[in-house]
Amino acid sequence: MNDILCVSHLKKSFGDNTVLKDISFSLKEGEVLSVIGPSGSGKSTLLRCITQLETIDEGFVQVAGLNMVVPDVVPAKYAPAKVLREIRLSTGLVFQNFNLFPHLTVLQNITMAPVRVLGMDRGGARELGRKLLAQMGLESKEKAYPCELSGGQQQRVSIARALALNPKILFFDEPTSALDPELTGEILKVIKSLAETKMTMVIVTHEMAFARDVADKVIFMDQGFIVEQGSPDFVFNQSGNERLSSFLSRFAQG
Amino acid sequence: MSDIAQLLPILGQGFLTTLAIFALTLLFSIPLGMVIALGRMSRFKVVRYPIKFYISVMRGTPLLLQIVAIYFGSYYLSENVGSSWLSFDRFPAVIVAFSLNYAAYFAEIFRGGIQSISKGQYEAATMLGFTKTQTFFRIILPQVVKRVVPASANEVITLVKDTSLAQVIAVTELFALAKKQQAAYASIFPLFVAGVFYYVANLLLSVLFGYIEKKLDYYK
Repeated sequence: MNDILCVSHLKKSFGDNTVLKDISFSLKEGEVLSVIGPSGSGKSTLLRCITQLETIDEGFVQVAGLNMVVPDVVPAKYAPAKVLREIRLSTGLVFQNFNLFPHLTVLQNITMAPVRVLGMDRGGARELGRKLLAQMGLESKEKAYPCELSGGQQQRVSIARALALNPKILFFDEPTSALDPELTGEILKVIKSLAETKMTMVIVTHEMAFARDVADKVIFMDQGFIVEQGSPDFVFNQSGNERLSSFLSRFAQG
Repeated sequence: MSDIAQLLPILGQGFLTTLAIFALTLLFSIPLGMVIALGRMSRFKVVRYPIKFYISVMRGTPLLLQIVAIYFGSYYLSENVGSSWLSFDRFPAVIVAFSLNYAAYFAEIFRGGIQSISKGQYEAATMLGFTKTQTFFRIILPQVVKRVVPASANEVITLVKDTSLAQVIAVTELFALAKKQQAAYASIFPLFVAGVFYYVANLLLSVLFGYIEKKLDYYK
């Protein structure tokens, strides 16, 4: 299997504040990557850089075989708009706060992009939307508005909305942080079932047990660096890195 | 009270002029207000600053003065340039002044509405591949409409009453005619009737806006 995501020597600053200092990792098709680390370690910024919600300063990013930036040029020089758009459409993002469109029904939230962006016919898009809703266990909710749903249901709709564009990689930015523990479980279940279908996913999360169980690969970030990366067993049990141990022990106590 | 039979057709005539000022002002000022709101939020200073200045003048000086300035100003300008094209007749001058003035107020209401939409809505739309135009018209604007209805209702109701300012350049709207009748009859009764006209018009508008708000209440 080839690398579907390749990041090397990525750097990103906001003014004087360097958030990502030298990030390199890669991911193969069908793999699940968990990104863990304390708040402010740069996890979300990394996700937002790869999904083009933020621009990078230096380094190289390749998504599904397409170069997001021209290699070996400093500061980063982005690829032509057409390429960036193709990359965008091959990446889906699930937000912490769902960001559903409140004025549209659940089904409209899902079908709008396939119709308006991919040019799918309405009937086909509705069929796809209903299939995805069924997959999320929400078949009875297609006519509901987001405000009528629980947080967990809203997040499942937003996952369905991202899947409707058939992305090659699906990114999750702390998908359960806005949910109470009971609802967290239902989202984690959905992500696990996606992992079983060999969906390539990158998940930024504070759910340590989940990060370990679902992932093929785990990255631990701290202060803008990747401190440790490897198999879940390595990162959680064998690494012996001091910062990682103290981070994990805080969760063990919690 | 037999006077009322003579009074009503006259005031009714004036009310039609009032309605025309009202409707035309809304027709022009709402789209113009949207354009001004977008310009006010432009990242280019050459666009943003002149628009800020425009809004501050429109909101900072009396509408009465603006009507006079546009009517007589355009007249003197055309005299000096020697082109009658620049000179407004009374009624068009009123429409221009009202539209420019109300557009400034609507612009600030729309700007507030647009800026109240969370960044997450834009980011979600971006991630789904929507263009900027699609994002604005299909995601942002529908939500803005809902948020600006209450504040816009205020402006619209004020506009009904502000139309009476048109009399300053002798446009014979409702209030101007009522005052004439007041003088003719030496009675304030015509003014009272005019007041009823304004009130009923605004009562209907309030009901309409209440209905619109309710219609848009299907989501939060």
